[in-house]
Amino acid sequence: MLDRRSGSMITVAIAAAALGAAITASITQTSGQAPAARPASIGGKPNFSGIWQANNEANWDLQAHAALPAAVTQPGIYSYDYARVPAAPVLALGAAGAVPGSLGVVQGDGQIPYKPEALLIRKANAEHWIDRDPELKCYLPGIPRAMYMPYPFQITQSTNKIHFAYEFSNTARTIHLDKVAGPPDDTWMGHSVGRWDGDTLVVDVTNFNDRTWFDRAGNFHSDALHLVERFSSMSPDIIQYDVTIEDPKVFTRPWRIAMPLYRRVEPNMQLLEFRCNEFVEEFMYGNLRKQPLVKHWEGDTMTIDITRKVPPGDSFYQWYR
Amino acid sequence: MFYRFSGSMITVAIAAAVGAVISVSITRTSAQAPALKTPWGEPDLQGIWTYDSDTPLQRSPKYGNQEVFTAEQRERLDRERAALLRRDRRVERGTELDVAGAYNAVFTSQKRTGARTSLIVDPPNGRLPPLTPEAQKMAAAEREFRLALLQATETCKNKSVACNGGKYDPAPSPRFAELPPRYNTGRMNRHDGPEDHSLPDRCLTLGLPEFGAATGSFRRIVQTPGGISIFYDVGQGQGWQRNIVMDGRPHLPASIRQWYGDSRGHWERNTLVIDVTNFSPKTDYQGSRENLHLVERWTRTGPTALEYVVTIEDLTVWTQSWTAKQDFIKLSDQENRLYTEPRCIEGNYGLPGLLRGARLEELAFAQGRGPHPATRDGATDFVGVEDDPLQ
Repeated sequence: MLDRRSGSMITVAIAAAALGAAITASITQTSGQAPAARPASIGGKPNFSGIWQANNEANWDLQAHAALPAAVTQPGIYSYDYARVPAAPVLALGAAGAVPGSLGVVQGDGQIPYKPEALLIRKANAEHWIDRDPELKCYLPGIPRAMYMPYPFQITQSTNKIHFAYEFSNTARTIHLDKVAGPPDDTWMGHSVGRWDGDTLVVDVTNFNDRTWFDRAGNFHSDALHLVERFSSMSPDIIQYDVTIEDPKVFTRPWRIAMPLYRRVEPNMQLLEFRCNEFVEEFMYGNLRKQPLVKHWEGDTMTIDITRKVPPGDSFYQWYR
Repeated sequence: MFYRFSGSMITVAIAAAVGAVISVSITRTSAQAPALKTPWGEPDLQGIWTYDSDTPLQRSPKYGNQEVFTAEQRERLDRERAALLRRDRRVERGTELDVAGAYNAVFTSQKRTGARTSLIVDPPNGRLPPLTPEAQKMAAAEREFRLALLQATETCKNKSVACNGGKYDPAPSPRFAELPPRYNTGRMNRHDGPEDHSLPDRCLTLGLPEFGAATGSFRRIVQTPGGISIFYDVGQGQGWQRNIVMDGRPHLPASIRQWYGDSRGHWERNTLVIDVTNFSPKTDYQGSRENLHLVERWTRTGPTALEYVVTIEDLTVWTQSWTAKQDFIKLSDQENRLYTEPRCIEGNYGLPGLLRGARLEELAFAQGRGPHPATRDGATDFVGVEDDPLQ
C-alpha cells in the first residue's frame, strides 16, 4: 500500500514536471532565447548531434533468444537445458541477473554465419562468459557493441569530424570525413572513415584487433573484421542504425544487424562518468591482495559461497505486512 | 614498460613534426586573416592541439617576477638541457634505485625551452600560493606516512633524495598496518592491494587541470552548434574525454562527483569559458580534491595557436586562487597522430605484477628465503633522471 501510494505520487510529480518543462521550453524557443538550439542539418546533411541510446537486448545476444534465468547457469534438478538455474556468481542478483528475451537484431534468417570451427569457439565463449567477456573487465567494447550497450553515448557532429563519446569506460571514436592517415597498429575501437550517401552517413570501420565481442553471448570476430555502418534519420529523435559485418576468418559470408537508436530527450540529459576500471579491480586483482576481501580465493580461482542474511522483518512473507 | 617506451618515441616524433608546423603558422599569419569561425559562426577551436616547448608550472625563484625569458636565457637553457640527453645518470650500481632509475632524459623527451618562465601567471611571482594550514597538515601527514614505509629500505639507508625528511631505521614501521591519512592517489612503498597504488598505475589517470607531462599531452576538440567535445590523450595512452554542456543549465547536484568534474561552458566573444566543479574526492591535483573549482578560458589566437588560461580555486588548499596559461599548437589533421583509444586496463600487467611480486616476497620471507619485504623499495623511481635546469 505504501508502495502504491508513493508510486502514484511519483507519477503525478513526473507529469507535472514534464508539462512544466515542455511549456517552458516552448516559450523559450518561441522567444528565440534558447542558448544552444540544435539545427536539423549541418552543411546540408542531417545533424545527428545529441545523446543517444539503443533500447533493446542486443548486448545480451544479437540473435533471437528466450529469456534465461541468468547469463551463466548451472544444472538444476533436471538434466534438461531448459531447467537450469542461475550459477552461484550471479545467484544473489535474483531477477536483476536474468537475461531478457529478444527477437534478435540479425537481419535475414537471423543466423550468424559462423564457420564450423568458429561456432565451437562461440559456444565455449558462452560457457566461459565470466572469464572471457571483455565487458566484465571494463575493456574497450569495440564497434558495433559500444553502439548498443545499455549506456548512452554522445555524438558531436562537425563538418570534417564526427566524435562519438560513449559513457561506458570513457570510450570514444572519431569518424573522419576528411582524409587521414590510418593507425599504425590494430585497435579496439577501429578506424572509422565516413562519407555521406545522400542523407545517410556511411562509415567504414577497419584496423580492429580480435579482442572485442559483439555481445554477452560470446559472439566474436577476428582482426579481419570490417564493418560498414549506415546511420539514417527515421525522425529527429530516431536514427536507423544498420551494420554489415564481414570477417572471412570467422564467418562464411557478410551478415547484417539493424536497430533504431533513440535520442535521450530528457531536458537535463548529459553523459555521466562510468569509470569501471575501478569497479572491476576486485574482480580482476582481488586474488592478489595481502588480505583477501573475498575469503575463498585459491590461486586465481574464486570460490563463491552465497551467504544471504535476511534482516529481521525483510523475509518475503513479512514484506507484505 | 612497452607502453612507456612507445609513449616517449611518439612524443619525440611529434616534437619533430612540430617544428614544421611552426614555420607554416608564421607564414600564414603574415599572409592574411584566417577563417577562425566554424561554418555556423562560432569561434573555431577544432583540431588536435599540443604544446611544443617546455614551461615549468612554477617559476624558478631566481627569476623573481620576470614572466618571459630573454633570448640569451633561453639559448643558455636550451644548451644546458640538450647536454642532459643520454647522459644517463646512474645511482649506486647494484642497488634497487639504479634499476628503478632506468629512466633518463631520453624517456622524458625534453622539448625546447618555452618563451615564458612559468605556466603560472598569477600570483605575479609565478609560484603556487601558500597552502592553508589544513592543507599543510594533510601534506605533512601524507609525507610522513610514505617516509615511514621507506624507513627500513636501502633508499633511506643510502640517504637518497627519495628519503628526504625521513630517517633510516632497520626496523619496519608499524605504520605498514595503517591506512593512509586519506584516500590514496599516489605511489607508496606498500602493495597490499590495488588501492595502495597511484591512480595512473591503476589506469585511473589524473584529470583536470591537464598541463601535460613527460609523455606529452594532446587534445582533440570537435564542435557542433551548441556542443563541444574534448578528447585528451595523455600519460601513455590513458585517454579520457569531456562533453561540455553549453545550454546554460546549472551544475550537477553536489551528490554527483566525477573524476573529471562537471563542465559547463559558454562563449564570451571569441573565448570558450568553462566552469568545472563536482570533482570526486578520489581525484587529487596538488592536494586539491572535491573542492577544486576551475574556470578555463580557451581562445583561438591564430591558425595554429590556441591559448588556454585556467584559474584554479580551492580555498581549503590554497590561500588564494591562482592562474596558469598554456599555449597550444595545432597538429596536422591529416597525419591524425591521435587515437581516441584510451587503452590501459586492457594491458595493465604492471599492477597485478606488483601485487603478485609483493605476495611472492612475503612468501619467500616467511619461508626464510628472502629479506623482510619492508626492507625493499618498490615505490621510488626516476631517481636517475637528471635535474632539469628549467625547474
